[in-house]
Amino acid sequence: MHEMALRVTVNGERVSRTVEARRTLADFLRDDLRLTGTHLGCEHGVCGACTVLLDGDAVRSCLMFAVQADGAEVTTIEGLSERNGELTPIQAAFQAEHGLQCGYCTPGFVVSAHAFLAEHPNPSDEEIRDALSGNLCRCTGYQGNIAAVKRAASGSSS
Amino acid sequence: MTAGRFIGQAITRTEDPRLLTGRGRYIADVLVPGASDAAFLRSDVARGRIVCLDTEAARSAPGVRAVYTAADLNPLVHDITTAGMPDAPFPPKYCLAENDVRFVGDPIAIVVAENRYLAEDAVELIDVEIEPQDPVLDVDAARDADSELVHPEVGTNTPQIIPPFGDPELDQAFADAAHVVRDTVVMHRYVQVPMECRGIIAEWDPYSYELTVWSSTQSVHGVQTFLAGLLGIGSNKIRVLQPDVGGGFGQKTTIGRDEWAVVLAAVLLGRPVRWIEDRRENLTAAAHARDESMDLSVALDGDGAVTAIRGEYIENIGAYQTMGSNGMGAFLAPFLTNAYKIPKVGFGSQAVYTNTCGKAPYRGPFLMYAVGIEQLMDTAARQIGVDPLDLRRRNVIRAEDLPYTLPSFLCYESITPAETLDEAASMIDYDGFRAEQIAARDQGRCLGIGISLCVEPSAIAFGQMGTEAATVRMDFNGKVTVAIGSSSTGMSVATTMKQVVAEHLGCSPDDISIIQGDTATTPYGAGTAGSRSAVLYGNAVAGASTELRSKLLEIAADALEAAAHDLEIDAGRVFVRGTTTKGISFAELAQVAYVGHDMVPPGTAPSLEASHRYKAPTFTFSNACHICTCEVDVDTGRVTILRYVVSEDCGRMINPKVVEGQIFGGVVQGIGGVLYEHMVYDDDGNPLTSTFVDYLLPTAAEVPTIEVGHIESPAPNPLGVKGMGEGGAIASPAAVVNAVADALAPLGVKVSGSPLGPRQIFEMIAAASD
Amino acid sequence: MKPAPFDYHCPDELAEAIAILQRYGDEAKVLAGGQSLIPLLSLRLSRFDHLVDLQAIDDLRGVTAIDGSIRVGAMTTQAALARSEDAAAVPLLAKATSHIGHYQIRNRGTLGGSLAHADPAAEYPAVAVALDASLEVAGPSGSRRIPALDFFESTWATTMEPDEILVAVHFPIWAGSCGWAVAEVARRAGDFAMCGAVCGIQLDGQRVSRAALALFGVGSAPVRAHTVESALTGITVDDLDLSDIGAELAASLDPPGDLHASGDQRRKMAKVLVPQVLATAIDEAKHA
Repeated sequence: MHEMALRVTVNGERVSRTVEARRTLADFLRDDLRLTGTHLGCEHGVCGACTVLLDGDAVRSCLMFAVQADGAEVTTIEGLSERNGELTPIQAAFQAEHGLQCGYCTPGFVVSAHAFLAEHPNPSDEEIRDALSGNLCRCTGYQGNIAAVKRAASGSSS
Repeated sequence: MTAGRFIGQAITRTEDPRLLTGRGRYIADVLVPGASDAAFLRSDVARGRIVCLDTEAARSAPGVRAVYTAADLNPLVHDITTAGMPDAPFPPKYCLAENDVRFVGDPIAIVVAENRYLAEDAVELIDVEIEPQDPVLDVDAARDADSELVHPEVGTNTPQIIPPFGDPELDQAFADAAHVVRDTVVMHRYVQVPMECRGIIAEWDPYSYELTVWSSTQSVHGVQTFLAGLLGIGSNKIRVLQPDVGGGFGQKTTIGRDEWAVVLAAVLLGRPVRWIEDRRENLTAAAHARDESMDLSVALDGDGAVTAIRGEYIENIGAYQTMGSNGMGAFLAPFLTNAYKIPKVGFGSQAVYTNTCGKAPYRGPFLMYAVGIEQLMDTAARQIGVDPLDLRRRNVIRAEDLPYTLPSFLCYESITPAETLDEAASMIDYDGFRAEQIAARDQGRCLGIGISLCVEPSAIAFGQMGTEAATVRMDFNGKVTVAIGSSSTGMSVATTMKQVVAEHLGCSPDDISIIQGDTATTPYGAGTAGSRSAVLYGNAVAGASTELRSKLLEIAADALEAAAHDLEIDAGRVFVRGTTTKGISFAELAQVAYVGHDMVPPGTAPSLEASHRYKAPTFTFSNACHICTCEVDVDTGRVTILRYVVSEDCGRMINPKVVEGQIFGGVVQGIGGVLYEHMVYDDDGNPLTSTFVDYLLPTAAEVPTIEVGHIESPAPNPLGVKGMGEGGAIASPAAVVNAVADALAPLGVKVSGSPLGPRQIFEMIAAASD
Repeated sequence: MKPAPFDYHCPDELAEAIAILQRYGDEAKVLAGGQSLIPLLSLRLSRFDHLVDLQAIDDLRGVTAIDGSIRVGAMTTQAALARSEDAAAVPLLAKATSHIGHYQIRNRGTLGGSLAHADPAAEYPAVAVALDASLEVAGPSGSRRIPALDFFESTWATTMEPDEILVAVHFPIWAGSCGWAVAEVARRAGDFAMCGAVCGIQLDGQRVSRAALALFGVGSAPVRAHTVESALTGITVDDLDLSDIGAELAASLDPPGDLHASGDQRRKMAKVLVPQVLATAIDEAKHA
């Protein structure tokens, strides 16, 4: 039973595939479904670049096998984005605060921020820093990322 | 400096929307039909003889298309030319390890398979036996006459020695000194760690005799030139494309031996080969950084003026450092005096091979010139009983000292270290902190403050880094395309260059497209490194835009029946100054040039294209002052950064937010380097910190809010800009070390460098109280 | 960094899961949240021919109150545990959970997985040991209970048989005026602790009527501080010299050293953390 049948909803679309059991959810999304917005920064669950939503919860897709997502709903950065050229409030906040440079960690930050702000719409500065501590960034020194989440929080609470 | 319409404005980046929505296309996202995936068999021994290498089982494993070893690939290597520093040390030119291995991670074989999963399975089937030999790990032992050699072919473990040289009166200056302060400043080994690992796709077409390479690189032309030599084919037969790149910081300035193997494999196999590095490889086998020390002495007179400085610099360059880029000694020597008026200098250095991962440049690779003296300044201040701020004020180069000629004969014409020192001190409320520190000490708490000044030799412009070109072209519809030889890896080249073009041409950034990262469509360039983009690409783009502007005005003057000097441009329209009706748009001008060219004045070429190759001065000096405050918990050894301020002068800022972003990133890399990141080898040469579980990067929870003040002094180039991308990383380590040293000094602890993790701090405190 | 191949089993009955473990022995491994196991597999530091995913066994999830205890299903995620109203009867669980990794990890990581993984620097094992939790384990020969103190053998080793599965954990509920605290010293937010302490204090007026204290990160398994607990019990709060207690406990430890901290250093950390958690718990108990 190396290969398994997999039925999963990804960004609202029902997907049915046969996958090798050892294929990570991250690789399944990226290579099988060509949703390459989810990135691999470490493949051992530390950097957060692979963050997706699983049934609404932020998880590290490199720490799941695709088969574990059978029957679940997965949302990737593509699923959290518009397609008409508009940015969501969180994305607009990241742009306004220069919260990205090379962009590699960015989808992970946006997805994580999305999940965090849904549960904590009025976070303190310390809560924001703690919430972002599971996503690594090398370019920004986190200054713009923290400011972006703060800005998005204050925007959405009005 | 007043901001222009576009230059000086913190406009939001045009790179952002697609990156924010997951539409970035990084190397692992590039689809090349028919591509196979590669994985490497790497040495798990730091030094040893390969006694058996049998790839039979691997070759017949499921999905495997080829397995190549040194026997297959190394003979294909034609010539490896280095675009490195003059007289830089050079390791032997092996692609894959031949008869022996020289560091843990040394690539021995490449497996090419249907996908990475199967490739890794097959790697495990390769039968390899390595007879371990004692590795050379320590730079002192390595320099011993009877040490084993890392590279027997080279015949020495010290391929680059700069024998001590300097001012003939140096010894006398030290003899006459009122105070001599000496310390060995140490920076441990840490790593660039871009968030995206390396990656390369190579496709060789034996019928068109063309090589196409996608490379996560900081320089497409550098890769192209290198591969032309590697393969012995014309560079016109090689196209190198840069996808989006997730950071480089110097690790991606050149391609490594494993990447050469991917290209050679693609040539041998006749099918495209892709290799995406994983994080364990990136941490252990890509390239390392820092790992250097300097025995530094300063002589001071009775008034605290530093009269002489002497440095002996030892650098551990590992086994296969990239392309002769290291051997930083030659780089350090001219800048040893940093921001101070020190008349006499002596210097010597050695670059030492060891059986460890080789080094590549890392954001400010020559930073020891600043780290050394900045730490010595604090040590000296404590030794002679003055405040480190006062000692710096006593010695810093001031406006009235300019132009200031260094002992190395370089000249500072326009720098502001004294001003930044004052601004930073004011921002942090230096005196207020000193009072707070005393009060805290009474409560048993250890607070500290650390200053670090740096004059940054930015936009290093000699050799092939000396010039950059831009071609600015207006199309049929009046829109503008700019081709430059850059390969941005996150440093906002596209947005900032649009700002420069918009300012010079008089149109909107939305009407401008920047083309970079493709050797087929851009002029030769050295890429992004060395804090050079603003100066080199900025001025090239400014020059070409200015030329195009003149052409537009010439054609417009004729069309509008006005004198060119009476014309202005705004929002993509040329108009007669003082009127609103007498004008002609870029679109209309384009029609004149491309269609109605009879209307172009005689003697004027109907060209809407301009190229300009800008030659920069060898160095453009920017400067900054960093001040950091911290608290050291003496029970646990943990350090908390309280505040961090930067006063910086990079000349005219194209985009203040971009400048600040660069500083923020560099500062956190410095904080990370000193307090968290430590690349550790055990006594057998095994890397112990091979994943993010043990190699710790700072997170949002560990960094303070970084405050930045800006000073803009004139720069010796038409655009008035200076480079600053590395300054944040150059100045920060000493600021953090000095803050910790200041916190612990009352306990009798002497801090000489990094790392300063909890263990190191605890042991220093324990040793001091014994 | 891709895992080696394995056969994947996802039974919906516990008995089936046990049968698979029994059939394949050493070649099979239970997969819970995967937050510790999957990195090991991806790095190929561990490999198994068979993975037995427990996520489809609904009986393994959920928190119920049973007679003075709460029963927490082994597959209850750390995030769910922190949110659970029933689990709030054992406040130490929620307090410990907030120190675990990051929320992305806690959304997948499970209580049972963490306990079975038995990392000496993890929080839950220390909580289980401090509270005398009882671990419900099932195997081919049936179900049994292992007291927490007997469960953690050594680093990454428990006293479960290879074909046994942790099913649930029973945590006793303390009555009366109680206070709880968790404190640890880690390199960064969410990292494994270099040294940590969990404690519970029950007050009867101004007297300590019950105390529980365990340390983690200072040995190959959590260290229960029975001597300290006895020394505290029956004593008036104001008469306690917490720093003395901390010093004595610390001196009795023989912690390991590594890149992050030496053995001496961990001892010093314990010396500081013990009074800290005791004071916090006492303070909370006073206001309960």
